Amino acid sequence: MIEVEGLTVSYGAGRRTVLALEEVSLTVAEGELVAIVGPSGCGKSTLLFAMDGLIRPTQGVVRIGGKEVRGIRRDVALILQDAGLLPWKTVLANAELGLRIQGRRGDVREVLAQLGLAGFEHRYPGELSEGMRRRVGIARALALHPKVFLMDEPMANLDSITRQRIQNLILELWQRLHFTGVLVTHDVEEAVFLGQRIFVFSPRPGRVVEVIDNPGVGTSDYRDSDQFLARVHHLRKALVGSAT
Amino acid sequence: MRRVAQYVAAALAVLLIWEVVSLSLLAVRGRVILPTPVTTIRAGIRDFGELSSAFGASALRFLIALSIAFALGLPIGLAVGFERTLYQTLSPLIYLTYPIPPVALLVFLYLAFGVGEAVKIVVVTCALFFQVVVAAQGAARGIPRSYITAVRSAGASRWQLYRHVVIPATLPEVLTAARVSVGLGITMLYIVETKLGLAGGPRTGLGRFIEYYAFRPELSLAGVVGLSLLGLMFYAFLEFLERWLCRWKHLGGPGGP
Repeated sequence: MIEVEGLTVSYGAGRRTVLALEEVSLTVAEGELVAIVGPSGCGKSTLLFAMDGLIRPTQGVVRIGGKEVRGIRRDVALILQDAGLLPWKTVLANAELGLRIQGRRGDVREVLAQLGLAGFEHRYPGELSEGMRRRVGIARALALHPKVFLMDEPMANLDSITRQRIQNLILELWQRLHFTGVLVTHDVEEAVFLGQRIFVFSPRPGRVVEVIDNPGVGTSDYRDSDQFLARVHHLRKALVGSAT
Repeated sequence: MRRVAQYVAAALAVLLIWEVVSLSLLAVRGRVILPTPVTTIRAGIRDFGELSSAFGASALRFLIALSIAFALGLPIGLAVGFERTLYQTLSPLIYLTYPIPPVALLVFLYLAFGVGEAVKIVVVTCALFFQVVVAAQGAARGIPRSYITAVRSAGASRWQLYRHVVIPATLPEVLTAARVSVGLGITMLYIVETKLGLAGGPRTGLGRFIEYYAFRPELSLAGVVGLSLLGLMFYAFLEFLERWLCRWKHLGGPGGP
């Protein structure tokens, strides 16, 4: 579904060129949910932005559904780190934003209701709790009915209870909607909870240093299983190893 | 409502200070230097027709200047602040011309626009225009990246980017800057009305009114009060506009301002 081949991205020019990603290759199968883990600044978000068509690769290609990504695609949605809500738009207008920009119509109210946001349509982001704001960001992406969900640390800076709730929500949505998902995170447990495969990235320039299979994702009480703890332990060691 | 009460209290305080100053000047110098509030207001009421014509002429002039300054300054300022190439080429030009008081160029402006109505509006417009441009440019540069990414990742066109992000994100800051520059605009208005109004009567503007009645101090002072009310009116108007257009800025609740 998603193929990344020899992807290199550098920013800036001349002496101040920063190499963000170097020769990254990976594939994500249709309907698969994968996690990308790495230290801060390792180019994880850059990878997502390249998949979304927001930035052009310096070298290499990204293909989605067999077609090279050359710009924004309607079947791909991006969820941003801080939800990317516009504070001057109401919850409804924020959730509708993607559809409106693309000149489409959709069942935004229903999506909001599914995410427990019914009754808050006319509130502004400034009036919501952080957890609700993240859900509005998810609603905006869901309203587009995309085949691919790119998630850039959607749980960053949340308290642990809200974080678990949003993690459960994403798992539940994935199980129900069968989208292809790429989750960028620096949280080890989150990666193990949500990534059927986990790609471990090196510090900048980001490269894939290890791929961990994690078939238990979605099984009941996975978070409390010994297998989960073993994977967390393994991943933690892999991350430390990648940084040295 | 509380806001109105604050204004009333402030007005009372000003009147009180004014009264004290004018009475102490009278006591020290032995003659009327500054007419008291009561005589001033009485004079203003007696010549209300003339005073209100002058007020209306000045208000209209200011409104036109403010509208033109916004209509031109907002798009230019936003584009220069937001488009990197424009910023690199045009921002030095703006910073170079911005500190020039337009009245310093009055001689050239006469020659270009004559001594009629146009030149007055041009001067006030210039003063306000640069305030709007500089504020809009600064605000456009400070837009958080995540707002832009959110809209771009949905496939927004340039125009949609401006409509959904750039304009609403910068509006509060621009309106605040415009409000702050009302004082400057009124100063410019006064200068052009006095310097360029010599041919006209007292009805042609508050500046002219104040000068025309220089030898009837209480009436001249009534004109000054009119000027202050004019400034207040536009200040309140811009504040109202900000509260109305930028409601989201004034919300309580978790994570609110």
